[in-house]
Formats: sequence, structure tokens, C-alpha cells
Amino acid sequence: MSTLDLTNLTWVSLADQPILETGATVFAFLAATRISRLGGNHPLLNPTLLAIVLISLGLEATHIPYKTYLRGADPIHFMLGPAVVLLAVPLFRQRAVIRASARLIAVGLGVGLPVGVLSAVGIAWVMGARSQTILSLAPKSVTAGIAVGISEQIGGLQTLTIVLVIMTGITGAVLGPLIARLARIDDPRVVGLTMGIASHGIGTARALQINEVAGAFSGLGMGLNGVLTAILLPLIFQLF
Amino acid sequence: MLEQIARVLLWLSLGEIAAKSSLWPLPAPVTGLILLYAELAIRGRLPDDLGILADRLLQFLGMLFVPAGVGVIAYLDVFKTEATPILAAVIGGTAITLFVTMVVVNRLGRTIAISREPGSERVEGAARDVNA
Repeated sequence: MSTLDLTNLTWVSLADQPILETGATVFAFLAATRISRLGGNHPLLNPTLLAIVLISLGLEATHIPYKTYLRGADPIHFMLGPAVVLLAVPLFRQRAVIRASARLIAVGLGVGLPVGVLSAVGIAWVMGARSQTILSLAPKSVTAGIAVGISEQIGGLQTLTIVLVIMTGITGAVLGPLIARLARIDDPRVVGLTMGIASHGIGTARALQINEVAGAFSGLGMGLNGVLTAILLPLIFQLF
Repeated sequence: MLEQIARVLLWLSLGEIAAKSSLWPLPAPVTGLILLYAELAIRGRLPDDLGILADRLLQFLGMLFVPAGVGVIAYLDVFKTEATPILAAVIGGTAITLFVTMVVVNRLGRTIAISREPGSERVEGAARDVNA
């Protein structure tokens, strides 16, 4: 009886603390990384995607609502801010390469930013999506923290934008290396930069797996694309 | 190491303060990134501990998106009605963006790589990893 009470007490204190959800997330990602490595790091075995599936199945099985999980996993969510700040480090390490590739980066942004916005908005519009969905789609290539702000400014749905941003990130992380191979492009600067512009942090996480050059250019692409889209998109939508 | 954590949190906090004012359009982490880069550029060198901290944290950057990413599945019912245009826009749009951007940038990258780029050996070595 007393043993049972103690078990209950431990369970209650664990449920109140973010340890359970945070631990489950770390464990799921660790497992996902192992699975991905076993599969030869195949792009479709993206660790982020696998961990999301594992956690979702776990929530489904235990009937824990998403909001409860999100609150519990807050320490992990919190680290996203410092991690984005720390992207300055690979950028700084690669500053000589980046300076030598200024034109390459300018062309990447000049092409990738408008194509990223217009292709998504265009396809959704042609296929008859509601205007709020289209507006939520517009900042889909931008890192989540910035995209939410843009979505709000232009009249999209923040929740929908977060989801679309994650979907875009995973799509870019999975398709990026495949499309690079298809187009016979093996310059890690080009692959990294494009993945950062098209699929923000999740693409950058994948690019960092390729090598540090790809990671640095991806972080740069993500950062510059985020900043420029945040400035340009609300201005453009104001005209309509 | 603690010093470096403090440094990151300081720039992030300044970014957060800036984000509170309506005149500054950028989210806190992006401002923090710019401020940290500016500091490193002014100093001209990277503290060892900061490099280690960045390497450790960025190694599992992909994990930090998992909590928000689970929302994809939790909110699936909400936008089931528009699943087709959404999926087409996200997957199709991202594929178009990746392909067009890579091809256009690669054209320019090649010309630069031929004209100069003494460090191209390293880039080629890295390129092998992409194909691996």
C-alpha cells in the first residue's frame, strides 16, 4: 500500500516536471539517430522526422494531449533560441569562404527567396486554397521564429504556419541531397546555401551532416533569407 | 564555458529587448545571431569554448524542432480539408525552389570556382561527402 503511494507520488512529481516529456524527446531523437545510422543516413530516415513520428505514436498510445507534451518539452524548445544565435559560429569560421562567395550568396537569395514564396503561393492558389491558407504558406521557407511573426503581419494563421514551416524543413532536408544528386551538383556551398534558403533550420541540420562548409552556407542562407523575407514580405503584401 | 553560455544568453536577451519595440522587425534569435557575429568579427577570433559550445549544441539542432514538429501530426485534422493544395504547395514548392536555386547558383559558382578559389581542394573533398 505504502509502496503504491510512493509510486503514485513519484509519478505525480514526474508528471508535473518537464523531465518526462523532455526525456522522452531526447530518447526518441537518440533512437531516431540510431535508426537513421543503421539505414546508412538515408535522407528519408531523417532523425527529426523519425523522432516526431515516435513521439506522436507515443502520445497516441498514452492519450497525452499535444499541449501537455509541448509544455513538458519546453526546455528543448527553449534551446532553439541559443542554437540559432550560435549559428554565428560556423558563419564566422567560414567567413573567408563566404566573403569569396558573396556573388554566389547574392544570386542564391535573389533566386531562392522569390521562387520559394511564389511557388508555394502559386501552387496553393491554382489548387483553390483559401486565402488564409495561402497567406500562412507564404513564409514557409523561413525559420519558425521569424515565420510566425511574418504570418501574423500579413494575416495568416500562426499555428498553421508553424506546421507548414516544419513540413517544409523536413521536405527540404529529405529532398535537398536527392535533388543535388539529380542535378549533378556536388559543390557543398551551393547545396548548403540552397537548403538553408529553401528549408531553414531543419535543412541546416541536414546540411551540417554533409560537412561544415555546407552547414555554414546553410546557416547563412537561412539567416539572410529569414531577415530579408521578414523585411520584404509584409511590404509586398501591403501593396495588395 | 559558463562565460560562453552567458555571452549567448546576453546577445539573445538584447535581441529579445529589441523585439519588444515595434520598430525592430527581427525575432530575438536572429538579432542575437547578428550581434554575436558582429562581436566575433570585431574581435577577429573565436574563443575556443564558444566553438565547442556551438559544435555540441548544433550537433543535435534537429532535435530542437521535434516538440514543434509533433504539432504537424497533432493538428492534422484541422487542415485535412485542404490537405491536397497544402501538400502540393509545400512539397512541390520546396522541390521547385531547391532545383531552380541550385541550378542557377551552380552556374555562377562554377565560373567563380574556375577563376579563383585556391581552397577548392577542400571543397572538392567535401563534395565527395555530399555524394556519399
